[in-house]
Amino acid sequence: MSLIRVIARKPAGLLGLIGVGGFLLLAYVVPFFVPLHNTVDIASVYVQPSFDHPLGTDFQGRDVLNQIVYGGRDILTIGFLAALFSTAIAITFGSLGATLGGKIDTIILGVADIVLTVPHLIVLIVVAAIFRPTGFLVIAIVLASLQWAGLLRQVRAQVLSLKEREYVEAARSLDLGLPHLIFREMLPNMASYIAIHFIFAMTGAVYAQVGLIVLGLIPQTGANWGVMLQLALQQGAIYFSDSVLYVLSPILAIALFQLSLVALASGLEDVFNPRLRAT
Amino acid sequence: MAAVIAAEERLAVRSIARERLGSMWRHPILRAALKAILTVLVATAITFALIRLLPGNPIDLRIDELTRDGSMTYEQARDQVSTIYPIDLNDPVPVQFVTYLWNVVRGDLGSSYLSTTASVTSIIFAVLPWTLFAVGTGLLLSFVVGIGLGLLAAYYRGSRFDQAVSTIGSIVSSVPNYLIAILIVLIFGVQLELIPITQMRGALSPGVHPGFTLEFIGDVFFHASLPIVVYFLTNIGHWILSMRNATLAALEEDYVVAARARGLSESRITTAYVGRNAALPLVTQLAIATGFIVGGAVLIEQVFLYQGVGLRLLRAVAQRDYPVMQGILLLVTVSVVVANLAADLLYSKLDPRIGRAS
Amino acid sequence: MSAPLLSVRDLAIEFRSRRGPVQAVRGVSLDVAEGETVAVIGESGSGKTTLAISLIKLIPRSARVTRGEVLYRNEHGTQDVLDMESDDLRRFRWNETAMVFQSALNSFNPVINIWAQFLDTARAHGLSDANEVRRKADELLALVHLEPDRVLRAYPHELSGGMKQRVLIALSLLLGPRLLILDEPTTALDILTQRAIIDLLRDLRAKLGFAMVFISHDLSLAAELADRVLTMYAGRIVEEAKVGDLFYQPRHPYSVGLLRAVPRVTGELGALSSIAGTTPDLVNLPSGCAYHPRCPFAIERCKQEDPALVAVDSPQHTAACIRWQAVAESVGSRRPAEAL
Repeated sequence: MSLIRVIARKPAGLLGLIGVGGFLLLAYVVPFFVPLHNTVDIASVYVQPSFDHPLGTDFQGRDVLNQIVYGGRDILTIGFLAALFSTAIAITFGSLGATLGGKIDTIILGVADIVLTVPHLIVLIVVAAIFRPTGFLVIAIVLASLQWAGLLRQVRAQVLSLKEREYVEAARSLDLGLPHLIFREMLPNMASYIAIHFIFAMTGAVYAQVGLIVLGLIPQTGANWGVMLQLALQQGAIYFSDSVLYVLSPILAIALFQLSLVALASGLEDVFNPRLRAT
Repeated sequence: MAAVIAAEERLAVRSIARERLGSMWRHPILRAALKAILTVLVATAITFALIRLLPGNPIDLRIDELTRDGSMTYEQARDQVSTIYPIDLNDPVPVQFVTYLWNVVRGDLGSSYLSTTASVTSIIFAVLPWTLFAVGTGLLLSFVVGIGLGLLAAYYRGSRFDQAVSTIGSIVSSVPNYLIAILIVLIFGVQLELIPITQMRGALSPGVHPGFTLEFIGDVFFHASLPIVVYFLTNIGHWILSMRNATLAALEEDYVVAARARGLSESRITTAYVGRNAALPLVTQLAIATGFIVGGAVLIEQVFLYQGVGLRLLRAVAQRDYPVMQGILLLVTVSVVVANLAADLLYSKLDPRIGRAS
Repeated sequence: MSAPLLSVRDLAIEFRSRRGPVQAVRGVSLDVAEGETVAVIGESGSGKTTLAISLIKLIPRSARVTRGEVLYRNEHGTQDVLDMESDDLRRFRWNETAMVFQSALNSFNPVINIWAQFLDTARAHGLSDANEVRRKADELLALVHLEPDRVLRAYPHELSGGMKQRVLIALSLLLGPRLLILDEPTTALDILTQRAIIDLLRDLRAKLGFAMVFISHDLSLAAELADRVLTMYAGRIVEEAKVGDLFYQPRHPYSVGLLRAVPRVTGELGALSSIAGTTPDLVNLPSGCAYHPRCPFAIERCKQEDPALVAVDSPQHTAACIRWQAVAESVGSRRPAEAL
């Protein structure tokens, strides 16, 4: 695919592509081939890395690598959903505000500005503390509820600038209607913005998600990098040299995933910019 | 005829008033102030909704708790809860909101669930300065150093310095800041034993008294240094990259070429012509960054056990002390709003193209 | 005859680009005597701006001088500007030669006021006495018909385009340069302001006696101000003559084309003509004479030979065309307004 080739032209893009692809495989495909080892084995607590346990075991004797394999799926899924919702909201209201202008635009922009000012994580903590959401969708919606503001301003700015361009004038004079205007004329030109911001929305969602899990505010069942980290911290795994891998593994998994996303976003920067693409 | 004149006069008055309001709106400083007030208003409304209106809200829960074992009547429970929260639950809901708002403005945020004598406001003000100090110092340091590095990276574009600074900057700022905090504790504190982390816990060493003494100030910095380092490292990447881009753009500007044609020295051009124009828009981003960092401060204070408002919030969460939670939400929002306002004002002072009556 | 103030000898400049080297200037030579005004006229893409900026060695990093020299003579002797480095170059710039850019609109730092920029310029050349600088600034601003108090306190965005152009001209004279280079000095301005600027330049020149080189596509500007005109096409000078000779006896098809394209205000509404074809691709130049694809006089030989400048009519009038006699016949020695 030529798209992949263009992304891969930048070293950062290539690394990002490999990274994100790798994590997607790890989270969604590998579990089909590797069974979940969930049994508690007190005899094997904090075992050193060996062939059986390449990353050692945790405080209950469970294999760490296995947990890493299974731990990505929930996080990625919720992150993806949250990014999807916030991007959808941002696109819809951003372009609406820009095209309709006037009072509606002022209100939308005002709300976005306010949401941007409020400290997100603290609101999320208070909301999570009061309402204790547990379902995937609910968590995703809660995460998305604050994230749309940044992208909305960008979308709005883009649409405002595109509004003045000739082909939009032409479409408008043909009276093709507002939805056509937004979805067929303007959005394709903002594809790069949207793709890049979708990726950043995912990083934000993962950040907030893991943060809330580590604080114990959105308890999740099953293997989960965030839960691993939370338990590790709870067990004081930082302070024992035996348990270093147990606390490092989820940290590295999360950090590498975030880095891959950011790298992929920088690779995408060049894809949709036709001026940069022309050789 | 008289009616027409009167109507015209009324219209004139109204349009003058609208003009005044319009000109007020256009004045950037007033507009920023109005926005700030509006934001606090909305934040208050949201908090009110969270604690009072939404299903499963803490106030209702509390009333349920108190009346469950039959020791109190509904009215008695309501009255008691009214003393804890700055709301009079006997009023209709809209009035409750106004009372709430009024009390918040006066500084009354209710009292803690755990001890009705401890006002939420006093609890929070005991810890808020520590957080603001650490966050503010970290942010300002990262801004100043980041801008310097970004400028250099742009000037030496393509060099190894540029590549190194840009890559390291973006890597460190992409990793969640609390993970970096944990890694610092893990690697430098435990594994390498370079940092005395147990001694650095908390905001102040035991036995040190607040005051303008060197001992106090030194101790404060000692304890705040790790959080500050984390805020510094995790934000500097953004400033480096933004400044780098802004500088590259500024270097292309005609006035830079014109300045060179006039024989100005490179150092003067770098500071007053390129640097100032590139850095100026970044000042507005400083305001937005404050909001983000304060949010992340919660986790970082948890990792370093730094007694700021974030740690206090977590304690309130653990104790289900909802009045303190909502108080923290409001006060932190107000702090961020004030910081934003300060940044907006600073920007309007620095950029001569804004708000200047020509 | 004394040696010229400025002497460009066979200058060639090329730019790096993805498609290959762009030959922006391909062997240009020109002389400017003290107090003389020379106009370089050409379309956009003819290389005239590149030529202008090379006179003060302001060439961007992506370009390099492949051959030639820019010789400037002052009381210390003659120096090649292209050989000057850092301090010498900075001293040369503005002191000896000042350049007024096309976009006066964006020639000023937007965040500091005009006075600060005057002071910056003075200080960069060793004039640190603020009172002295203020005195000079007042004088010069008055010369360009501006109010010093108001203008110096202002920020660039508070001034109109015409005002900024005038401030820039005043600023250019701050150090008493002997050569003023102007790149499209009137292009971005409305017609009334253009008139004012032209009159101003003429006035200042009479008072202060500096030499001028100005670059433009606007022939009328040349007619108003220039002593000599050079037409430039595809990086080469194709004709050089005294202003009257060029206007009434053009000898290069390109000059003829330019003259014909100017609409007449007086007389009957003749046919407006433009030069056929498009500006040449400076990466892939046509073979032989670069103008031949658009030239109504072109013959087979034009595709093979790249003509040098030869004297036509008189030694001070040169043209780079092998068919200049045919051009001369077609033009005749009558005024272009009637003949063409």
